[in-house]
Amino acid sequence: MNLTYPLLELRRTLRIWSSTVFSVALPMLFFLVFGAMVPWGSVRLAHGDVAAQTMISLATYGAITAAAGMAGSAALEQHQGWGRQLALTPMTRGGFVRVKVFVALVVAALPVAGVCGLGALTGAGAEPRVWLLSPVLILLGSVEFACYGVAVGKLFRSEAAVGAASGLLVVLAFLGGAFVPLTGWLLDLARFTPVYGVMALARYPLTDGATPTLSGELVQDPLWLPVVNVGAWTLVLGALAVLAARRGTRRA
Amino acid sequence: MTTTTAPPGTEALELTGLVKRFRAEDGRRVRAVDGMDLRIGRGEVVALLGPNGAGKTTTLDVVLGLSEPDAGRARVLGRRPRQAVVEGRVSAVLQTGGLMRDLTIAETVRMIASLHHAPLAVDEVLERAGLTALAGRRVVRCSGGEQQRLKFALALLPDPELLVLDEPTTGLDVGARRAFWTAMRAEAAAGRTVLFATHHLEEADAFADRLVLMAAGRVVADGPTPEIRRSTLRTVGVTWDDPPADAVLARLPGVAAVSRRGARLVLRATEPDVLARHLLTRTPAHDLEIAPASLEDAFLRLTDALVPTEEHR
Repeated sequence: MNLTYPLLELRRTLRIWSSTVFSVALPMLFFLVFGAMVPWGSVRLAHGDVAAQTMISLATYGAITAAAGMAGSAALEQHQGWGRQLALTPMTRGGFVRVKVFVALVVAALPVAGVCGLGALTGAGAEPRVWLLSPVLILLGSVEFACYGVAVGKLFRSEAAVGAASGLLVVLAFLGGAFVPLTGWLLDLARFTPVYGVMALARYPLTDGATPTLSGELVQDPLWLPVVNVGAWTLVLGALAVLAARRGTRRA
Repeated sequence: MTTTTAPPGTEALELTGLVKRFRAEDGRRVRAVDGMDLRIGRGEVVALLGPNGAGKTTTLDVVLGLSEPDAGRARVLGRRPRQAVVEGRVSAVLQTGGLMRDLTIAETVRMIASLHHAPLAVDEVLERAGLTALAGRRVVRCSGGEQQRLKFALALLPDPELLVLDEPTTGLDVGARRAFWTAMRAEAAAGRTVLFATHHLEEADAFADRLVLMAAGRVVADGPTPEIRRSTLRTVGVTWDDPPADAVLARLPGVAAVSRRGARLVLRATEPDVLARHLLTRTPAHDLEIAPASLEDAFLRLTDALVPTEEHR
């Protein structure tokens, strides 16, 4: 397949997706308040400072929210019967999901660029390996959320379901330690949830796996933990998205 | 068109013992298509007629690989339906949805064209569908007729051998309907096989060489359009001042049924010539008119007997 379809789809997504601006501006604003303007921002971590850690967390949050926002466009497509039109072409279900993931990653890159750019401007400190690796890891981890969005949009056509899906994402983000550090059994549970994996992976170049807890101590996550978490969730949600894409051929 | 062609003698479409079931909302199993057999040769223009719920769209979904039959076999140009779609040998104008409202006409055509292996040029397809002047218009701003022509343009992209149209003119006004069929006639004249579902009898009559009538998921009549029309009774209308009672009229030679419209009698006749001769020579009836059965009559007669029964529903 050539790039015509993905690029037109991307243009369409950016054109109709009014929340694009929101998904970029909100994490940037959060970073200014909780990352750039707090006194503990310059506290040292393994390969940078706390401001850089907040930057990565909020960039991740922005990226996965934007990626999962594909749910809205997938649901709209489903509603308009576009899936039946696509089913009259050689496009496969896997090809359909790949296009969605491509578009989602471009859209997800916007808040990452916005937050990291702001981090660089406000003096968040990190070694070059963090600046190089963390954005890439965030995007890798966003793939599973693009799949999550496609699956939700295809399976539940109603807007209420799409709303519930983004609500669930906030719960997952909380469990992922995106907003406040966790502790105890909640942290043990959180390690199995998808946002935790992406967050831990994205922060690894900065922290070497040291994760802050609510009690103030640091716990150490081995590298394999986020790798397995992200790998497993990407497989599961990717398979779900391909299965859900089958529904596109049904009559509305 | 793709480089390899189907072996000679292969039918454009072969359906054998096709069955498709659905689970109805109350949990009962409904046979939407119930043992459908149909063969369509290349170059034929065939109308699939039937009341709502007859199983037309379900049948076409199977032909297009959009759903799998529960039993039976479907072959399009000798291939499985999905294979025929992938090779660009069959394409369709679908009844419901199928367009993204926020794309322009040109964007829509370019997007779908990019998915086909060897599509026709976008400009050529727009031209043939009469959309060149509207290329930059958003789908949401297009009239029903323009949207339908856009779907037609999309269906032309793979240069298909078999073109399937599911109720292509539903909701269109007379002018848009005429414009649509004019575009379609050019395709049929070029030798393309066309299968279209409709419940507009005039369209079937005017456009198809062959009619296939469906009711309750089966083919109930199949033949050349004039033959289907002939297979039913014709009507003999006369003006008859002070006519005898219906019971007497019904005993006239060749009469099957009697109805009155004021001073005018309309007699359904098995032998219209015999009846006409009798009426004009032996009775005071005048202003005689023999009308061919409308397709509508044919249709109602053939499908009335097949109102879906409990076991089919």
